[in-house]
Amino acid sequence: MKSWFPTLGQRLLSLLLLTILGGILSATLVRFSPGYGMDVRELDPRLSESSVEAIRSEHHQDANLIRYYVKYFAAAAHGDFGVSESLDRPIAELVTERLPATARSVLLGVASAWSLALVLSGLGLVAKGWFPEVSSAVLIGFLLSLPSAVVALAFLYLRGPVFLALAVVIFPKIFRFTRNLFLHADDQPHVLAARARGIGSCRVFLHHVIPSAAPALMALLGISLSMAFGAAIPIEALCDSPGIGQLAWYAAINRDLPLVMNLTLIVTLVTVASNSLAGFSSRLVVRQP
Amino acid sequence: MSVKRSARIIAAVILAMVTLLALGAGLVTPYSYAYQFRDLPQAAPSSAHLLGTDPLGRDLLSRLLYGTRLSLFLAPAAALLTTLIAGLLGGVAGLFGGWHERFILAIADLSMALPLLFVLIALRAMLPLDVSPLISVVATFLMLGLLGWPSSLRVVWATTRSIRESDFLLLARSSGSTSIRLILRHVFPNLRPVLLAQFWVSIPVFILAESTLSMLGLGVMEPLPSWGNLLRGLENFSAISANPWRLVPLVLLIMVVVCFQLIFPAQEDLA
Repeated sequence: MKSWFPTLGQRLLSLLLLTILGGILSATLVRFSPGYGMDVRELDPRLSESSVEAIRSEHHQDANLIRYYVKYFAAAAHGDFGVSESLDRPIAELVTERLPATARSVLLGVASAWSLALVLSGLGLVAKGWFPEVSSAVLIGFLLSLPSAVVALAFLYLRGPVFLALAVVIFPKIFRFTRNLFLHADDQPHVLAARARGIGSCRVFLHHVIPSAAPALMALLGISLSMAFGAAIPIEALCDSPGIGQLAWYAAINRDLPLVMNLTLIVTLVTVASNSLAGFSSRLVVRQP
Repeated sequence: MSVKRSARIIAAVILAMVTLLALGAGLVTPYSYAYQFRDLPQAAPSSAHLLGTDPLGRDLLSRLLYGTRLSLFLAPAAALLTTLIAGLLGGVAGLFGGWHERFILAIADLSMALPLLFVLIALRAMLPLDVSPLISVVATFLMLGLLGWPSSLRVVWATTRSIRESDFLLLARSSGSTSIRLILRHVFPNLRPVLLAQFWVSIPVFILAESTLSMLGLGVMEPLPSWGNLLRGLENFSAISANPWRLVPLVLLIMVVVCFQLIFPAQEDLA
């Protein structure tokens, strides 16, 4: 039990460092992107010279990079992530409003994709033969060749739920990994020995193959969350689902740099946290006697 | 001949045919991809326009062939860039170890933590949206090439590390071979198949990423055609049901990506 704490501590520290690094990286990119510091309010003829000067001095303060970072992180620590330029609303409010929709879609999508991938990989292993192999190869090959935006359009046309579109995009990738992991585990000497003793295929699968593949499956779970977040952008944008993905697309289309920067930070935090959690869980599974 | 080998040969023949058609676009169709037949918007297929025209009256076959040329040739260019970066960084990390290895792998881990599409969209947002079509093409494929290396790097690093610990390299080192000779004569020839596989598996990934980016309006800009731009026509469902031949770009895209997958298995299968 004691030996878990240093590992957990290291994970949390690396999570914090990676998040700060991701924040600095995205803030730097925004700071040096073309057009940074330009404000359309300066063009408003109704504003007086002193008002325009005040706007310019507001941007001039951010010219010092260190001051810019300190200001950004100090405000972020107090929950102030700035204001969206295109929507003219606090970013924290926008994110709080939209995060639940994306979290729900991503979690349901990942759960559906995993369930289907595990069932099909398991069936493929238990019922070996050319038909399951060829049919799954054709299905997976077809799904892998579809751009996620096309899947989104198909679901928009069919009025299908967003989480199912996410599941269709990530399922083939998960399936390929799970199938390979199961095949590899199935070739292990202890599994062959179990088969030689006459233990049934289902029992071998449940008691020997799955435990052997469990650590790698746990690690894959973290990656699949990251994949789902990536797929959420085109799917939410095209299916008009009010989530973080749609917000990211809207921010990109409108070149709303503060919003892009903060969304990058949030996605970094979520994906690094899920990867760390999955990595930590997979280590725990390996340590089981 | 095994089924897999036959499938690979058929896939290679199809890819070669598509490539030849794209190269000879000017010979196959007499029209420019941007020329508008203003009196023929949404025209049905005819002898003059084999795939009909789009809502702006542009010949769809011309746009498809020139779009194929762009997507099919620039995706390998981006894949080459990715493979070079992955080969260089993965080679250095695997061969030298120590802090080089830790630093490069930490950067790769950070890059892999973020979804590629999200990073592409975030970076694209940093650039002005009203760039010229040519710059949009270069920016799109350059971003793909510069951001797609982390997963390939992991594979190259693992291979280089196994080469570093191999008996033949130890023998060459003990025989007094210089570092340059070790890299050129022993490491690089053994890395070549891995680099080739990484190059090949990156191509369909980049084709699909470009399609999604262009469909979202953040990739290749009009009037230049690309597969992604052509797929934007799918957003109009009523037009698709009335003119099903509008699905031809999607069919071609799926066919080409499947061919790439058949010739080389995906990253997961290689791993």
